[in-house]
Parts: sequence; C-alpha cells; structure tokens
Amino acid sequence: MLITKFLLIDKPIRYALGIIVLILLTGTTYTLVTQGTMAFLSPTYLLQQLQVASFLGLVATGMMMVILLGHIDLSIPWTVTCAAMAATAMGGEWAIPAGLAAGLIIGLVNGLGVAFLRVPSMIFTLGVNTVIQGLMVVYTGGFAPQTHSTPIMETLATGHLLGIPNALFVWAFVGSLIVFMLTRTAMGRYIFAIGNREVAAYLSGINTRLVLIASFVMCSLCASMAGILLAGYSTKAYQGMGDLYLLPAIAAVVIGGTNILGGKGTFTGTVVGAILIVLLQSVLSVMQMPEAGRQVIYGTVIISMLLVYGRGEKKEG
Amino acid sequence: MLAQKNRVPTETQTSKVVLQLKGIGKRYGGVKALNNVDFKCSQGSIHAILGENGAGKSTLIKIISGVIQASEGTVEISGQAVKFANPTQAVKQGVVCIFQELSLLPDLSVADNICITDPPRNRFGLIDKSAQIRLATQLLAQVNCADINPRELVRDLPLSRRQMVEIAKALGRKPKLLILDEATSALSAADVEKVYEILKKLRSDGLTMLYISHRMHEIEELADTLSVFRNGQHIETFSKGSRNNDEIIQMMIGRDVTSVFPAKPIAKTIKPTVLKIENLSWSNQLKNVSLSLKEGEIIGLGGLDGQGQHEILLALFGVLKGYQGKIIINGNETLFTSPKQAKSEAISIALIPEDRKTQGLMLPMGIDDNISIASLKRLSKGLMINKNKETQNVNEMIEKMSIKVGAASNPVSSLSGGNQQKVVIAKWLMTQAKIILLDDPTRGIDVGTKQELYQLFRELADKGHSIILYSTDYDELIGCCDRVSILYQGSIIKELAGDDLNETNIIASSLNMALEKDQVKRMNKRNENNREVSL
Repeated sequence: MLITKFLLIDKPIRYALGIIVLILLTGTTYTLVTQGTMAFLSPTYLLQQLQVASFLGLVATGMMMVILLGHIDLSIPWTVTCAAMAATAMGGEWAIPAGLAAGLIIGLVNGLGVAFLRVPSMIFTLGVNTVIQGLMVVYTGGFAPQTHSTPIMETLATGHLLGIPNALFVWAFVGSLIVFMLTRTAMGRYIFAIGNREVAAYLSGINTRLVLIASFVMCSLCASMAGILLAGYSTKAYQGMGDLYLLPAIAAVVIGGTNILGGKGTFTGTVVGAILIVLLQSVLSVMQMPEAGRQVIYGTVIISMLLVYGRGEKKEG
Repeated sequence: MLAQKNRVPTETQTSKVVLQLKGIGKRYGGVKALNNVDFKCSQGSIHAILGENGAGKSTLIKIISGVIQASEGTVEISGQAVKFANPTQAVKQGVVCIFQELSLLPDLSVADNICITDPPRNRFGLIDKSAQIRLATQLLAQVNCADINPRELVRDLPLSRRQMVEIAKALGRKPKLLILDEATSALSAADVEKVYEILKKLRSDGLTMLYISHRMHEIEELADTLSVFRNGQHIETFSKGSRNNDEIIQMMIGRDVTSVFPAKPIAKTIKPTVLKIENLSWSNQLKNVSLSLKEGEIIGLGGLDGQGQHEILLALFGVLKGYQGKIIINGNETLFTSPKQAKSEAISIALIPEDRKTQGLMLPMGIDDNISIASLKRLSKGLMINKNKETQNVNEMIEKMSIKVGAASNPVSSLSGGNQQKVVIAKWLMTQAKIILLDDPTRGIDVGTKQELYQLFRELADKGHSIILYSTDYDELIGCCDRVSILYQGSIIKELAGDDLNETNIIASSLNMALEKDQVKRMNKRNENNREVSL
C-alpha cells in the first residue's frame, strides 16, 4: 500500500527521497561503526538540519519562481547580504521591513532589466550582483559592519515553538503562499505558460512583462528573507554571507524536478531538493570527509540525478 | 511540355520499381500507426500520398527515410531489401526527405546549409568555402533561384525562399527517391508555381518523388499516381484522372462528403460596422490600408504571402507598435497597445496566430490549461481560479469543437495537428471575442477537420461574430468569405465580392496583373482545367 503510494509520487521527488534515505542510512552506518550511536536519526539532529535547510529552502523557493519562467537570478548572493546589512543597519522594529525593502528594490531592478531591456537574465542579474557588491563595499568601507541583528530576527532564526525551529515556520509560511500562488491563481498559471512558450503566452493576452517583474521581485524577497534570518542566526551581517547560497539553491530547485529551461516543476520538489542538499553537506562533514572529497560527491550526486531525470523525460515524451 | 506528358506512366507501361514496401507495420505501444502496408513507387513518377492527419502518412515517410524503424515488413529500394538505422544511411541509398518543418539553421549561410551534411573539403580536410559556394550556386540555379545569394544568412530569407533552399539542399544529396512532406504548405502561389516547374523537370530527369500535400489542386497539377491512406492502411493506388475529387475525398475520410464549404447567407440585412481601419500604415510593410468589417461578416485577406496580411492582423491585435492611421472599434477610435488590451471586453478581438506550435500553444502544458489560459480573469473569483467553473467551461469547449482527447489534462503535444488547431480556436472562443482574426488557420490540417472549421466559421458569423480570414488557399477565401481584399506590397489593391470573387480574379489581383501577364494566363488556364476536373 505504502509502496504503491510512493510510486505515484512525481518521479524526481521519488528519486530525491530515495537519495535522502540513502544518505541517512550511510551516515548512520558510519556512526554505528565509529561511535556506536545513531545520531543522524535523532529528532534533535533532524530538526536542526531542517532549521539549516530553511535558509536554503527560502532562497530556493524564490529561485524556483524565476527558473519556472526559464530565467535565472544570479544576484542571489549579494541580495542575501544586502538585505542582512540593511536589516541590521536599520535596527529596531523597522529592521525586517528594511531588509525586505532592499530585496524589493533589487527584484524590481532585475525584473525591469529582463522584461524591458530584454537583457538575458543570466547576464543582467550577474551584473546586478556585482553592482550590489560594490555598493555594499562602499557602504561598509570594506569592513564587517558593526551593527547587530534585532531580537525579533534572532527569535525568528534560532528560537523554537513547541520544539520546532521558528525558521521552519517562516519557510512553511512563505512556501504555502507560493504554493497557493502557483496552483490556485492566474498568476501561477501565467508563470508556467511563459516558461513553456513566452510568445504563445503573450499572444494569449497575458501581460508577460508584469509576470516577469513580479517573479523577480518574489525571488529577491525570498532571498532577502533568508538574509534577514541568516543575520539573526549569526547575530550580525558580514561580507560574503550569501555566497554559499547561489549554487545550492539552483541545485535544490533542479534536483526537485524543476526544468532548468522553465515551464515545469513543483514546490514539494524544491523542498525535498533543499533538504537533500543540506543533509548531504552535513553528513559528509560529520563523516570527516575532506573538503575536496565532499565537493566531488556533492557534484556527482547532482549530475547523476539530473541524468536520471533527463533519461526519463525522453522516454515519456 | 510534350516531353513531360510523355513521361507520365500509364497503367500498361511497366516502369522500374524504385521503392517497394511489403507488409509494413508500425506499432506505438498498443496503437497501430501502420498496418500491413504494401506499396510501390515507380521510377520517374510523382507519386502523391493522400490521407487525413493521423492516417499514417508521416509514419510511412519516417520509415522510408530511416527516422524510425518498422515493427514488421520489409522495405526494398531498387529491388534490394534495406534496413535503415538512421536517416544518414537512407541518404546514402538515395532516399532524401524534405520535411514539413524546415530543417535549415537560421544563423548559417545558404551555402553552409546546403552543404551541411557533406561539405566539400580541401586537401587539409578543412571545409572549402569557395567550392561550397560554387556548389550552392549551381544547386540554386537548378531550382530556378539563382537570385539567392549563397552567402546570405538563412535567417534573412522569407519563408518561401527558405523552402527553395531546402529543395536545393535535398538535390545536393543526389537523391534517387525524393520525399516531399507538405513541402509547399508555407509557400505562396507564385512560389508554388516555381516548385511545380522544378519538380516536373526533375521528374523528366527520371527522379522519383513521393509527394504529400493537403492541397488537392496541387496534387492534381503534379502527381501522376495517387495513393490514399486511412487509419494506417493503404486503401488504394490509382493513376491521376481515374477518380474524381469527391471519390478521392470519400476514400480519405471514409464517409460521404456533402459540400466542402457551408452555404453563404443570401440576403443580408444591413448590420452595424464593428471595425473600421482608416489609412493604416506601418514601417514599409503597410501603406494606407483601409478596411471595414460588419457584424456577422467574414472578410478575407488575399494576395501573395508576405504582402502585409500578417501585419494587418497583428496591428489589430495590439502587437505592432507605432502604427499610423486610425482603428475604430464600434465607433470609438482606439489605440492598440497590447494583446491584453485587444482581448479586453471593450475591444474583444481574438487572434488565431499563423504558427500554432510556437505562437498558439504551450505544447507541454495540458489541453485544459491551454484552452483556459486567455480566460482566467473571467474564471477567477478574486485571486483564486474557480476550478469547477474552469473544468466545466473547458469540457464544454472540447465537446463543442469535438476535439478528440484522451483526458483534458493530457499535454497538447499529444494531439494531432488538426486537433491542436481546434484547441487554439477553443481558447479564443472561450474569451467570447466578438471579432476573430484568423491567420492561415487551416495550414497543414486534414480535409475532414478543415471542413469542420469552415462550418464553424460560418456558424460563428451567423451568431454575430465578425471574422477576418487570411489564407494562402484561394479555394478557402472563395468558399468562406463574403468579401476578399487583395493585398499587394502593403496596400489593398482590389476588393472582390459576389461573382467577382473567383480564382482567376484573385490570382490576377495578387500578382497586380501588369507585372507578370504570362504567369497569370498560365495560372488561369490551370485553374480552368482544375475546375473541369472537379466538375
């Protein structure tokens, strides 16, 4: 019964879930042999991993919006950093709105550039990333900012409610909004339509520019929310804090079965993808795998999963 | 001319068999696309293959040209059994195919494209550019297109010229058997004429051709032998003239045909004008075009391809930016800015675009999603789409258009061409648009579906919709439209209605008479012949 249900799930998600189980089993075997414990299966460890996954998950959720359109947002690293810096610099009760406002502005710039100037998003957002970096260096003078996160930010990032990390609630909240948008509203349908064939969507009377801009704004807002949480987690903002999030976010989206060329994908997939990546990184580091080996395994897992999906696609089509 | 006539094989003449199929079958899962097909094709003949979409023509072609392999049966070329694993092997044996979708690379030059599979090489093994250009020039001359510069990028050529390049490319592979799959569906009348000449010349040179087209008069003009396919089976092969049109069509669709076009209403009460265009100009493509459209009227846009017909439709759909002149909707002058505005309630215009695959549909998405995409605003309550209402509306449309679907959520790409076009039309009928612009809506669609669409257009007009129809098929303009405006170089040069609306007049105006009198004369003669045949 359970097995038949499992087989009904979307193929990429099925594979990703399988890999997650495999990672946990490998890790547990390792800890059983070396320490005689099953640390990887303890609720504390798993919840902690979910908390870490929330940050990546938020970024990936936003990234998914633009990937569904067939675009990409490479300005993520400095959007995260910029939002964190804006929030800590503002401080007080306006800290979080200030961080989100930074994201909103960056999203608008990205969206307008892609929708109106028709610059390929890969180039435009890469440029925007560098520009924000420059602005932030000017702003901080190249030093780590001395400002600190507010208590609310810290509670959101590190606090627990009923034993569950608050960050997870934030991710769940944002995620449910996105799922509602994608599956229940015209906007969601338009995103998929544009990702599949922008000309046909335009000729169906869809305001494609507005959809593009809105999606880039959503992406940057998600990234800035992640930045705010990260600042709360480490109590301060620092240069390069977002650098570790760009590629894992793209990988999470794609591992979750979203077509990198747009038009197809599910939020559940992205969630599973984010968890897979966080677990993989964590288990590999606990197993004291040297950095080089970790990178090799990390990359191999991503490539092999994509190969598996690619093959499936062709057979079905 | 005489020489060509002599070459037409008769029943008694036994010519060399170039291609023979024995018991060919092809299965896709449980579906039989082809079933026990026996077929042969003799040298120096233009052999037409007829059948509705889904009759198995494309599968047959793909098997012969090595794109796919038959599940059973044997293929013989010049008496030798062959098994092609891929198209390259087929080309080596002299089987060359020109597919419906152009296979040219737009960013390479004409010469590069023509020589793409086997470019001439110099002694270092590098591509010899000048030899390549010589070869291309020679092949282009062979297809009477010496005016195409082989250095030009394919991107810069109009669709019709690209098709000629495609033919030149095929000839470059020295074919024994040339397969043309809907090769003229993108061509305008004058270009089709050119293609005829070339094909006839090639036939007299002894080349064998398999010709697939949905245009009956083309087949009558060109083919000497016809084979009809239906539901994956070879129904009959006969020589031209031994069956009349009605018999052929009946063979293709397996049922009686009453009349291809629905009757036009005879007496018309004066209806209000819903759309008026005054002195519309745009770039170099449109010059002072004026048109008016009444409620319940179907007007046609005719002329050679690329004379501004698309631009008129695009301007009326808000795609063209910066046009000059007035467009008046229901008495109000309106500035068109976007398709979104054009479909709004105040204007209520729909456009069925030229290319359904790239402009009309999101192919991987569901049939239901495609049908409802333009009407989501009406189907939503606040932010949320009312899914029940959506499903209900979509199902009504599927039923109304009799779209053959397995499930409404299947991807549109799983449908045949005719059904895909019905999905595009259903999408716009769902918006309840008052004015419907049709940009060559029956291109590449089978006879049965065409007929259904003609009925539908007339029904819509009777219900008070107004339609502008652009078509490359004259019969369609004559059969469907109340009036036809002929465009020439961006201007309307003639409006035809009533008895004046006939093929001779359309062709004469399309070519602007004075230009190529000889051609007109020849075409008229051909049309008269055609009419005799169809009578």
